[in-house]
Amino acid sequence: MGGCACATLLPSTLFLGMRNAAAVEAADKLDLTGKLHLADVALGLAKSGGASYADFRLCRYQTEYLEAKEHRLEESSIGLSAGFAVRVLLNGTWGYASSSLATEAEVTKAISSALEVARASQGLQLRKFVLEDVPVYQDRWDMPMKADPFLVPADEKINKLLAINEAALKAGANYATAAFAFVREEKFFASSRGSRIEQVRVRVMPETEVTVIDSGTGKFATRAGFAAPRGSGYDYILGYDFIGEATKAAEQAREKLAAKPVEPDDYDLVLDPTNLWLTIHESVGHPTELDRALGWEANFAGTTFCTPDKLGKLQYGSKLMNIVADRSQEGGLSTVGYDDDGVRSVGAEFPIIQDGLFVNYQMAIGQAQLIGKSMSNGCAFADSWGAFPIQRMPNVSLKPNPKTCSLDDLISGVRRGIYIMGNGSWSIDQQRHNFQFGGQLFYEIKNGKLGGMLRDVAYQGSTVEFWNSMDGIGDKSTYFLGGAPNCGKGQPEQTAPVSHGAVPARFRQVTVLNTGRKAAA
Amino acid sequence: MLNEADAQAITNKILALSKADSCIVSISGFENRHIRYAQNMATTNGAPGGMSISVESHFGKQSGSATGTDFDDKSLATLVEDSEATAQRAPENPEFMPPIGPQKYPTGTAFSATTQNTTSAQLAAAIQPVLQQAEAKNLQASGFLQIGTGFSSFATSKGLFVFDQSTDVLHTITARTPDGTGSGWAGTTLYDFSKLDALAMGGVAIDKAIRSQKPRKLPPGKYTVILEPSAVSDLVGMMMEEFDQRSADEGRNFATKKGGGSRLGENVFGKNVTITSDPNDPVVPGGIYSDDGLPANRTVWVDNGVLRNLQCGRYWAQKSGRAPVPSPNCLTMAGGTTSTADLIKQTKRGLLITRFWYIREVDPQTVLLTGLTRDGVFLIDSGEIVRPVCNFRFNESPVTMLNKVIAMGPSVRTYGEEITDTPISVPTLLVDEFTLSSVSDAV
Repeated sequence: MGGCACATLLPSTLFLGMRNAAAVEAADKLDLTGKLHLADVALGLAKSGGASYADFRLCRYQTEYLEAKEHRLEESSIGLSAGFAVRVLLNGTWGYASSSLATEAEVTKAISSALEVARASQGLQLRKFVLEDVPVYQDRWDMPMKADPFLVPADEKINKLLAINEAALKAGANYATAAFAFVREEKFFASSRGSRIEQVRVRVMPETEVTVIDSGTGKFATRAGFAAPRGSGYDYILGYDFIGEATKAAEQAREKLAAKPVEPDDYDLVLDPTNLWLTIHESVGHPTELDRALGWEANFAGTTFCTPDKLGKLQYGSKLMNIVADRSQEGGLSTVGYDDDGVRSVGAEFPIIQDGLFVNYQMAIGQAQLIGKSMSNGCAFADSWGAFPIQRMPNVSLKPNPKTCSLDDLISGVRRGIYIMGNGSWSIDQQRHNFQFGGQLFYEIKNGKLGGMLRDVAYQGSTVEFWNSMDGIGDKSTYFLGGAPNCGKGQPEQTAPVSHGAVPARFRQVTVLNTGRKAAA
Repeated sequence: MLNEADAQAITNKILALSKADSCIVSISGFENRHIRYAQNMATTNGAPGGMSISVESHFGKQSGSATGTDFDDKSLATLVEDSEATAQRAPENPEFMPPIGPQKYPTGTAFSATTQNTTSAQLAAAIQPVLQQAEAKNLQASGFLQIGTGFSSFATSKGLFVFDQSTDVLHTITARTPDGTGSGWAGTTLYDFSKLDALAMGGVAIDKAIRSQKPRKLPPGKYTVILEPSAVSDLVGMMMEEFDQRSADEGRNFATKKGGGSRLGENVFGKNVTITSDPNDPVVPGGIYSDDGLPANRTVWVDNGVLRNLQCGRYWAQKSGRAPVPSPNCLTMAGGTTSTADLIKQTKRGLLITRFWYIREVDPQTVLLTGLTRDGVFLIDSGEIVRPVCNFRFNESPVTMLNKVIAMGPSVRTYGEEITDTPISVPTLLVDEFTLSSVSDAV
């Protein structure tokens, strides 16, 4: 037994409360004893089949989705998706299999299938996979949460959605959409090394948008809400002013229709954290993934300009740039006790960019040794019971300025620029150099003062040049935790939830284009 | 995996348990096998599978659904109970449409027993020579080969039951030079594994990787471009996602007519543009049923440049006095007869583009999209490819682009970066004035 073997395993049913009938029944049908038994069957068969390593993951995802359009409830659905995957390492070659039927017979079949896949692929194994000695844990981790969204009456959630739309329509929107998605993820992990880990976490994902139409000109404008998805309870929904935002959003969307089109040029930008979190995700989170640097994503997500020879040498950004990776941040979508390789991740924060210098990659098991490191830093994730864990992002965030600095302070240092809020369209090349990001709201900055609204703005840049042009960032009072529930990577493609903390930041002389012109150049 | 009889038996159990005014039962499942490889070796290989069942219950105009993955009798009863509780908690939806009764469906043609019976050893045997070929040329090959079998059924309490099954094959390969200055790609989907020529695809990716080495920068601007099928599939496919009657009628779509209504019947595209969907298309067969269980019959979306159909749900169809138009399960853009070599020959100065990456909508009003070129861009001068050039970011609308098509090759089945679930067949296009707005250093 190594590492931190904390609490003993607790029965899952303690955490179920008044859930939908299927969730309660599933927990009754396969309790912890049942899971441990299936794990023993799987791992025993893997060992006797010759696997040097194996793991077994059994997951349940309880979901709820509610969507309101204008004054009507468009969709109300709940779900319970359960199943397991087994992964074997046979003579240095991976094989895995999965099934939605968690029975002993199905586990036996899956192990046989995983071994067959690994055997069949051995002729293609130019270099054998070797895994580091991950410490063994027997533990249970539960995401701290005040109000479980699955225990909140549906009426309350539905009425909230309808009220959000009502506020938007009352404020002049022609159309309004509001949706809540909730996920409760229960994962049981067992490895041939001896780990047995149970984890429960919840995600809440609000989404709102208003549309206004000018029938005279045939133009329309939208304004999406700024509420980020979070690894939180329903208390996050209760604490967010959706009604106030919907009212404001309708007015802002109307203002957008009459806003001045931006003149394409180089501008100083002040990026609100509601915009910057996604820029961090694309231009810092992805480039510093080790599997990309090793070429393992070359056929899909791409490689990276951040090659291992640049580790500890590349001045990624200005001295103000400190990017930290964590799986502990309250509300973080990547916050979890252990990653899907069974590596302990709580309390294992590490810097990615320190004072502007590139200092660390994100890693899953079997990767660290390839760049002369000894151990994964806990960044593996599988998006379902049926998926193979691959390297995915922890929470990757820009640390606030230790000195006092407000949004107004940043704006006051701009003679001619643009302040951008919210996310619009986003796109970046497969090595993470060239990006283009839009936004929801754009305001002119003139001589240190915020001016009127602009429209059709998108900014383009090259990652290292852009981050080195950052000369001001907000302090901790300006911190905002953004995030995405659906970051895509891997083949078969997997979508991962990930959060990014950010503060407002100022960037000098960034290329801005007008997206409203017939073809934006 | 369930066969038709098993799916029907489970459906009947659900229908017998239902206490709702009406209900819909959907079941689906899949069994896949894949080999993923990178740096000339296998990485993550697997055989995932699973099934799910969904019950949508209705009480008057109240509606709710529950989905599960357990199929024993007790779980099915609980699923119905959850579905009905969800419906009873929902307010009435004034746009609720009751489920439909029996329909006449086309016979499915997207299934291959060969694919269903393909083993992991056969997948490995298909990949082995590709990796050897890359090794021999001192290149690094990465790719993904997957075969899958899937089924789905859809039933209503009004007597409708439809079962469909399909197979699919996906192979994509990227070859890169060890110095990271050259990259080539090939990819396609099929439904019949016996038609896959992985080695030939590897050859295309390898050839492009070698020819694309050490590219030079060209200034951004408007270029004549030859877009290979993968690039075209993404632009056409993403545009088709905007083919929506209701949003056009409501004034929030590219197909909205100034002053109100939609542009149906207008020349929205160039006369050489025709887009259809046909579940029995021999090249890209698709699923036999679509939204709400409606038959996926052949649909002409664009006919010689004229906008003929927009996807239209049952409620909006009823409200606006139209027939519903289900969304397509496959897509074909009709092609021409000019070979890529001849398209190159007739290009005075332009760029040959292999494919695109990370495409996102910038402006829904015009369907302005942005994204980047990837895995091979070549300068054409006086009808000949003269050298590789660096990648570009584009900002262009497919609606605009499809008014500037000078010539096209035959329509072929392909695979795009963004349109991954819809079988699609499109031609190589020679297009005038395509907007490339900045240069990317990525290879």
